[in-house]
Amino acid sequence: MTLFIQQLFDGLALGGVYCLAAIGLTLIFGVLRIPNLAHGTLYMLGAYVTYFFLVTVGVPYVAAIGLAAVVLAVIGVLLERIVFHPLRNAPHTHHMIAAVGAMFFFQAVAQAIWGADFRRMESPISGSVTILGAQISWQRIVIVVTAVIVLGLLTWFIKRSIHGQTIEAIEQDRTGSSLVGISPSRVSMLTFGLAAALATVAAGLVAPINLLAPTMGDALSLKVFAIIILGGLGSLPGAIVGGFTLALAEVMTSTYVSAAAGEGIAFVVIVLVLAIRPTGLFARAVQR
Amino acid sequence: MLTVRGLSAGYDAVDVLHAVDITARAGELTVVLGANGSGKTTMFRTISGIVRPSAGSIDFDGRQLPDLSADSIVKAGLAHCPEGRHLFAKMPVEKNLMLGGYVRRRNRGRVRELLEHVYELFPILHDKRHQPAGTLSGGQQQMAAIGRSLMSDPSLLILDEPSMGLAPLVTAQVLDAVAQINRDGIGVLLAEQNAQTALRIGHHGFVLAEGRVVLSGTASELLDHPDVREAYLGV
Repeated sequence: MTLFIQQLFDGLALGGVYCLAAIGLTLIFGVLRIPNLAHGTLYMLGAYVTYFFLVTVGVPYVAAIGLAAVVLAVIGVLLERIVFHPLRNAPHTHHMIAAVGAMFFFQAVAQAIWGADFRRMESPISGSVTILGAQISWQRIVIVVTAVIVLGLLTWFIKRSIHGQTIEAIEQDRTGSSLVGISPSRVSMLTFGLAAALATVAAGLVAPINLLAPTMGDALSLKVFAIIILGGLGSLPGAIVGGFTLALAEVMTSTYVSAAAGEGIAFVVIVLVLAIRPTGLFARAVQR
Repeated sequence: MLTVRGLSAGYDAVDVLHAVDITARAGELTVVLGANGSGKTTMFRTISGIVRPSAGSIDFDGRQLPDLSADSIVKAGLAHCPEGRHLFAKMPVEKNLMLGGYVRRRNRGRVRELLEHVYELFPILHDKRHQPAGTLSGGQQQMAAIGRSLMSDPSLLILDEPSMGLAPLVTAQVLDAVAQINRDGIGVLLAEQNAQTALRIGHHGFVLAEGRVVLSGTASELLDHPDVREAYLGV
């Protein structure tokens, strides 16, 4: 039972991280209809920039994540302007090739600045509490709480604020959006900036638990794609439910079956979803 | 006032419109008649900046519209309520309307006024304001689409076949509302299949055929014109 509670908390913390990373990807898909294969490298850069502010500059942990999110939002906007905007009328394959190019570029930049070796970010929040006999580290509690707060703010932004609503407007009807004066180009920039900032929050939260490496985004990239396919491409609730489902499945499988099976479970889930319900659990306008 | 001169436009280098001249005077209701495929929708889409013209000029209150982006055109006071409505189907009616006021978002007071005005014009939208727009009936969706266009506080409203697919009674309601909007001082450029009703509420009219203006005149001239009577009124 204690083991189960322990794993449940680990799963929730991991789920929070997956959600934050997956939401950006699903928003970009909803607005631009492109799978941003470079999303994992934005997450990786987010982790390194957080590391830079925390360790090199020496600002407090939460401020470091916040500053890194702002830096990555700018990088996200630049990525949209320089790489994806010029390709907006090009065939789909061009976006994917460009995204792979951006991925290699970001990895090379990270390697040039921080080197290829693993780096460790000491957990700024130490200690743990005992809940129902299970030792839960404060870091994991912080992850879950922050994820919930950020998801709440994001939902408010997208549903209530006029700028956030433009994201949904573009997803639902591009022509209608243009005709009310919403500029697709501005919404694309907003979406990329937001997606990169969310990936950074995810990375900054999980960095003290994991190690930093220029390739750390690769595994995450595959998993967030699994999550948004599971939840339904472009669906916000889908990304949230998918994120927690996959994280819990992963943690539980690692514990009760084997660690290797835990790593593979994401892909078992994708295969099952694609076989049984190819549009995802929360299907929305995937067809063009 | 909208002045279109020598306008040619189309898709993938094939022109659908050929040197079209059309004028919509300020505050008047101008009717555009024409069979399916005559170029009405393409003309409207070119005016509102969705399609780029291959030749010609579009002057709106002294500004050249092809130089402006689609959102600046809305800001300049030209609203386009498209064929097929293009509502945000999963959003509540009121959110659709508020997004219609997107370009006026900094003037909250004005947006409130416009919203109240739209609800006065279409009380049913007030009753259904919390329902997703996609769940409304065809006529109500058309009203929501017109309302959304009015939310941008236009001086000229382009309406592309607002009665398409509606029952006769609902069509009459929608066209009554169009006449009311025009009486309130907003210029209207209306494409309509119901030539008779449209010309009755209109001031001037143009007939398009195969991408060219083949006939123009005051509404009453067109109503009496033998070609129009034969082609559109079934007389």
